[in-house]
Amino acid sequence: MSRKTRAKRNPVTARRGPSLNVILTGVVVLVAIAVIGGVLLVSRSDGAGTASNEAMVPPGAHTLSTVEGGEVTLVEFLDFQCPACASYYAGITKKLEQDYQGRITFVTRNFPLEMHPLAVPAARAAEAAGKQGKYSEMYHALYDNFDSWAVDGRATSADAARATAKFEEFATAAGLDLEEFRADSASAEVQAAIDRDVADGTKLGVNSTPTFFLNGEKFQPGRGTITDVDRELRAKIDAALAG
Amino acid sequence: MNRRLALLYVVGGGLGLAAAAALTLEKIAKLRDPAYVPTCSLNPVVSCGSVMDSRQAEAFGFPNPLLGIVAFAVVVTTGVAVLAGFEPPRWYRIALNAGTAFGVVFVHWLIAASLYDIHALCPYCLVVWIVTIPIFWYTTLDTWPALAPLRRVHSAVLALWYAVIAILVLAAFWDYWTSLL
Repeated sequence: MSRKTRAKRNPVTARRGPSLNVILTGVVVLVAIAVIGGVLLVSRSDGAGTASNEAMVPPGAHTLSTVEGGEVTLVEFLDFQCPACASYYAGITKKLEQDYQGRITFVTRNFPLEMHPLAVPAARAAEAAGKQGKYSEMYHALYDNFDSWAVDGRATSADAARATAKFEEFATAAGLDLEEFRADSASAEVQAAIDRDVADGTKLGVNSTPTFFLNGEKFQPGRGTITDVDRELRAKIDAALAG
Repeated sequence: MNRRLALLYVVGGGLGLAAAAALTLEKIAKLRDPAYVPTCSLNPVVSCGSVMDSRQAEAFGFPNPLLGIVAFAVVVTTGVAVLAGFEPPRWYRIALNAGTAFGVVFVHWLIAASLYDIHALCPYCLVVWIVTIPIFWYTTLDTWPALAPLRRVHSAVLALWYAVIAILVLAAFWDYWTSLL
């Protein structure tokens, strides 16, 4: 190597260059590490099958039972006007919620189906009640009184006026501020929460209700009566609690 | 040509040569026994086997690593010669730059094939990608005085180059990386 090349090189790389170059290199490396690390970290909590999954349990999701740092999380995607959901409620989840209270985290997510015209209004009512801290009360009222608003005889009801009156009745019984409840029910924020649930459910492969995920894994019951399904679900929860 | 570039040729070229030689040996072992599983086939994603069996692995009708052995040998030899006092003439440096430019284009074609067509990574190929880029970049900076402004940010450009490829690799094998966590 000649003295000439050294003389040519030094002014650019050694005397002026390094500071700018080193800074820029550092910035590029740090940004790359931050992007890659951040994206991987986010995806870890987004990864399939974990209870901390954001798509499964987003911040502010409604829980019927909560265990801080709990190991077992049951997520139900439900439609308040779906008869199967109502049967599951009566035959499985109402009792399950009591029996496993404080032992598992039980999360409910909205997945109103298009075939049920009152499913979205009901979901709005539940979300609006949640805004006043009474989600659980509204959830129970909607299913406990399913026959009073969701069906006309045996057919799916489309009577929005009757349903709204019922929802307001439930809200009053739960001690909600009715004006606020009405405003919240109609709010974009409440609709956004429902949309988020539907989007997450779709992403997770939900296509019917009710759909359960136990610790991120889709619960696919075998054939049988509600009692059989109840037994199967409890066995899985017990195994998860023991494991 | 300066000493640091010569050192890069020796070290980078040596690594590339070693990787090309290893791939050639794996290729021979695989030809001898088609059921042979290369030592660098660890799982469905990190798999030289699927890369070596692809049509891109013989881009010019013969296994790519043969090209690597020849080309990296020239790079190493040049580095050693410069360290020994050889002052390459202009035509030599331009030719070397042309060769490294061909190498870097070829490597990027292989990166695209690996990520988007073969859907597998081969560790020896990664070594070749990693060394070919700086060899090209610093040869180019050294050959063309007009690029002096870029010399002020030489390693930042290199880091950015690597970062873009790292992110593309990350994105292409997203499910694999997240399954490791």
